Amino acid sequence: MSRRLAPWISLLLVWSLLPMLWQLISSFSTAESLVDGSIPFLQRWTLVHYRELLESDPPFWRYTLNSATVSGLTTLITLALAIPAAYGLARVPQQLRRIVRWMTAAAALFPYVLLFLALLELARRFSLGNNLFALALPYAGLAMPLALLLLTSAFEALPKELEDAARLEGLGLWQRLRWVLVPLLAPASASTAILVFLFAWNEYPIALTWLSRDELLTLPVAMARIAGSSIYSIPYGAYAAATVLGSLPLLLLVLVCQRQIVSGLTNGAIKG
Amino acid sequence: MNLLLVLPALLLMGLVFVWPMLRYGWLSFHADSVLTGLNPVPNGGANWVRLLDDQRFWQDTLQTTRFAGVSVGLELLLALAIALLLDQRWRGRGMVRALALLPWALPTTMMALGWRWIFNTPYGPIERLTQMLGLGPLNLLSTPMWTWLVTVLADVWKTTPFIALLLLAGLQTIPEDLYSAFRLEGGRPVQALTSITLPLLMPYVLIALLFRGAQAFGVFDLIQVLTGGGPAGSTESVALYAYLNAMRFLDFGYSATAMLAGFLLLTLTMLILAMLLRLSGLIKPVQP
Repeated sequence: MSRRLAPWISLLLVWSLLPMLWQLISSFSTAESLVDGSIPFLQRWTLVHYRELLESDPPFWRYTLNSATVSGLTTLITLALAIPAAYGLARVPQQLRRIVRWMTAAAALFPYVLLFLALLELARRFSLGNNLFALALPYAGLAMPLALLLLTSAFEALPKELEDAARLEGLGLWQRLRWVLVPLLAPASASTAILVFLFAWNEYPIALTWLSRDELLTLPVAMARIAGSSIYSIPYGAYAAATVLGSLPLLLLVLVCQRQIVSGLTNGAIKG
Repeated sequence: MNLLLVLPALLLMGLVFVWPMLRYGWLSFHADSVLTGLNPVPNGGANWVRLLDDQRFWQDTLQTTRFAGVSVGLELLLALAIALLLDQRWRGRGMVRALALLPWALPTTMMALGWRWIFNTPYGPIERLTQMLGLGPLNLLSTPMWTWLVTVLADVWKTTPFIALLLLAGLQTIPEDLYSAFRLEGGRPVQALTSITLPLLMPYVLIALLFRGAQAFGVFDLIQVLTGGGPAGSTESVALYAYLNAMRFLDFGYSATAMLAGFLLLTLTMLILAMLLRLSGLIKPVQP
């Protein structure tokens, strides 16, 4: 079986990984060897692109830190609002639940880039621009439909008797959530958290319009700015090193958490 | 009490999704640009009249629709093949699935930068290869037709894993018994694909079509970084045009009009598509 499939599996891997691999190779190549194929193999390699990135002002890891801050905060806010909301939704009348479900599904479909102008107006009106903590607010709103879809279906799948028993034991609402329901929902919450984190990490148009100060940029915006800043020279080695450094944390996250990501995506599709 | 728990989440969603649409509706009937000192001044339906007559907007709408249609079509085909492959049992399947998912997880702007290098003339690997074959420079990023294909390829590369995963989930809901019964009846594998797999997979295909279609129509990150809408506006999308109106031409009233119009066109297309699919019997009325 496996032997017959082997060529197709290799093809899939080449297709998925080759473009990234090319970036990796380019990032370690000297500027000359990128444009001149006749340089001997052993003289083609360098670490200079990485050193430049780490010594630039602001240093590249700063963007990673910014992205981690926004994404972490977004995940916290989203879950803090979505878990109680999903709990409540699983217990409101059927009619109302159905309406909310349709609304969230429609919002999840919505190409959110079209919202940027009104959100930018809000940022200006309330002076929220250039503030990583404030940026987490629209992010949480944008990630909410996905979080609600995933968590509501998880709450609905829990047996109701469980909570009734906890109630009889005299546990209040918050205690029930904290000690009974949330632990049972840990898998669903984990995959929701990772998907929300990924969304915030990759988000571009809102960050592009809300952030302008160099030291506050998130990774996607910093990358785009690197691309736009040097139209006349071709610092592709530096580009490539930036893509490698910028993707590394994410690649690790995806490889480590792939089970949660897959279950989150597929649950979202089936039940949403 | 239960409603009280739901309210904060709904309010935030309303602020982020509903408020902008209302605001655009209002802004689209106002002039709000450098000419008015960035203050909204009512101008009747002037924005809408201008939009109807705006070649660039309609050109972009056409381009965006074509981009979305071709990308999503290719993605579905490729994703089906990948899902069928990942649905078989073989050693190392989990690892390959994780690796194949990586393109989907990378920030779009990051890989857009990577594609610019890969399709660079004359130093990118593709152009070097074609030159070695004696095909001369293709100018992949400055010839409209090629550039358009590059944007499609970049989108297909990135989002196919996501659709493949959706379809894989669908494949795994099909009970194995159906296939063994089919084999006992003497059906051939290819027939099993067309008479069991595809019909049962259809709901998942439609979800993917709907979701990816809408997202692809809103394409922005990829175009802005990879081509900037060029060459000569040939890859510009509706979202990018609206963005340029607001951030470069500082015409907020018209930008809002363009975005609202884009949204309405998308909704209309989706509704027509859903109606056609229902008429053709591919989907039945949904009973949640």
